Amino acid sequence: MAKLVALAYKDFRVLIADKGNLFWVFVFPAIFALLFGAVYSGADEGPSGMNVAVVDEDQSEFSQLYVSHLESDEALNVTRLDRERAFTDVRKGKQAAAILIKPGFGDGLSAMFDANDTKLEIAQDPGRRMEGAYLQGLLAKAQFEVLGKQFQDRQWMRGQMDDWRAEITTDELPDEDVKVFLRYFDALDTFLEDINDQTYEGGFGDGLLNVATVDVQREYDGPKTSFQITFPQAMIFGILSCAATFAVSIVRERTAGTFQRLCIGPISQAHILAGKGLACAMTCALVIGLLTLGGRLIFKVPIGSPLLFVLAAVCTVSCFVGLMMFVSTLGKTEQSVGGAGWAMLMIMAMFGGAMMPLVFMPSWMRSLSHFSPVKWGILAMEGAIWRDFTFVEMLAPCAVLIAIGAAFFTLGVVMLRRAQL
Amino acid sequence: MIEVANLCKRFNGTVAVDDVSFEVPQGTTFGLLGPNGAGKTTTINILCGLLRPDNGTVSLAGQTDPTRPSVRASLGVVPQSLALYEELTAQGNLEFFGCINGLAGRRLKERVAACLEMGGLTQRRKDRVATFSGGMKRRLNLVCSLLHEPRILLLDEPTVGVDPQSRNLIFDSIEKLKREGHTIIYTTHYMEEAQRLCDRVAILDRGKMLALDTVENLIAQHGGPSRIEAELETPPDNPDELAGQIKGQEFSVEQNTVRFATTEPMQSLAGLNQSGLRFRALKVETANLEDVFLNLTGRRLRD
Repeated sequence: MAKLVALAYKDFRVLIADKGNLFWVFVFPAIFALLFGAVYSGADEGPSGMNVAVVDEDQSEFSQLYVSHLESDEALNVTRLDRERAFTDVRKGKQAAAILIKPGFGDGLSAMFDANDTKLEIAQDPGRRMEGAYLQGLLAKAQFEVLGKQFQDRQWMRGQMDDWRAEITTDELPDEDVKVFLRYFDALDTFLEDINDQTYEGGFGDGLLNVATVDVQREYDGPKTSFQITFPQAMIFGILSCAATFAVSIVRERTAGTFQRLCIGPISQAHILAGKGLACAMTCALVIGLLTLGGRLIFKVPIGSPLLFVLAAVCTVSCFVGLMMFVSTLGKTEQSVGGAGWAMLMIMAMFGGAMMPLVFMPSWMRSLSHFSPVKWGILAMEGAIWRDFTFVEMLAPCAVLIAIGAAFFTLGVVMLRRAQL
Repeated sequence: MIEVANLCKRFNGTVAVDDVSFEVPQGTTFGLLGPNGAGKTTTINILCGLLRPDNGTVSLAGQTDPTRPSVRASLGVVPQSLALYEELTAQGNLEFFGCINGLAGRRLKERVAACLEMGGLTQRRKDRVATFSGGMKRRLNLVCSLLHEPRILLLDEPTVGVDPQSRNLIFDSIEKLKREGHTIIYTTHYMEEAQRLCDRVAILDRGKMLALDTVENLIAQHGGPSRIEAELETPPDNPDELAGQIKGQEFSVEQNTVRFATTEPMQSLAGLNQSGLRFRALKVETANLEDVFLNLTGRRLRD
């Protein structure tokens, strides 16, 4: 046992003596987890508000109130611009649309709802009709809400009624109809005069166009944070780096003669290979441990079942130790083993979901992923971290990992022995 | 101590070792002398169990299976390549190989210190091997095999590519090991090394063992005559009479220089002295193992 530990410790010291190894085995996976975690967490937030430019050419009290109301809407990101700049931004795609508030918009209800001379325009790319319709709805809602508040202003209401009286008398309405409207306006005027200032609440109140909402939380069985996806991926990258590095170290020992010197020593070849495997496994465990610790302490990444996570980690590491042994026999020089090893591991990573999460892959790639141990490694780790696998559910990926590891380890040892004798 | 009988090894149809047999008594140094590709390293690899022979047997201190850990524990092998971890320090390498050879604790510390001293590396023990000169690496390569004090040493060209100072240090170390009674097999293609260090030498070429004996006997049997060149104060008056006195062959006189070959250089020099001639300079070139190899194969060792 002491010899085994000495072999593993020696390999670890040789590994950390090379700063390049340190980066690829320990630093790169952490960068990967952080970078992609941040990217995916941005995706989780969903689309933010629509970017719109507002051109207020009216500059009335009402138009400013209207713009302020639009700015308070979370569905919109409003930027106040002049007409030229607003149109340029729409052309360049910086803004989804420009809202033009033309002079006269704040002159009262008649001006606001005059279909012949609209005071509110939306300038946008015709290809973005859906966003346009969405924006029209938001503008109409804002218009009614601002109007609702205006109705609370008695003076403004009286002004409006004076305007309407003048319009009715000049319109070509039948006399009987005019009399009916005028009686209605007089009654409303009397009402506004008699009403106590402290108790008057005009307008539409808070209920105008409001739709009551009922919170129904969708059942969500996915990861609670994007780091729950990227940390297993990063762990796999760390393990892949370890496997590739140790595979190259085996062939380096063969070419340098140190492997031969070890074989001459009073230990069996099985001891030597076990020592190599132990060193690789311990380094992988260290990578996983550091990433887990960093994930827990810094990013509060929750781990559903710590015990199952340990099981998943052990099986994944065992699998890649076996692969490492096989990769070390893929060539006779460090260059050939390094090249072939990384090529093989990168293909496994690509199809296994270490580069792009499996859920984003087309179905044919997802079918191919079954042949990659990376997929099973990630599945096992995710099963323990956020998929809430039971012990029985965990057995399938773990069994696949152990089987692949054992097969490649045996193949690697046989080929290595053949190369020696 | 070491017995090798009818050893044969082929690689893809190429004969590397062809019916080689020899014995190395305990406490002696045995040389395997031959050019590159003679089969020296293959023989060493079979002796330490790295290669299986196609035919023949090997016995190390009565044990016929060199792959057994107990047999390997009594073996110290210095490989031809620099089998060291360049990323580790000299001390780190020695400590690691010491552990592998079963040393631990105080004993390991003592042996590491002794080996660093023997290799002249105590001052540089904390430095990474990658920073060492070729000679220092060679010395470390040697002492890494001596940590566990093996009784049998197999040294495969331990001085390849080293500076004269390091070579002398290595020779001193090997001579010390000889005095301590180690049994040593030493492969080389430098005949001076074989002549200096080995009690008996086997000459190998293309897998075959051409001759085996002490260095003196090999030279006497296969080295040819010694060559003597004497520069005289004055040319000899009667060259024919002089040729008769010295009993030499290929006698020639050129102005005041006399040249001849002889199988008995001491008697010839005595005859030359008795002739009454006065010498300005005398040069004696005795035959060496290079001549032995040349006479046996028609080629030079480093061809």
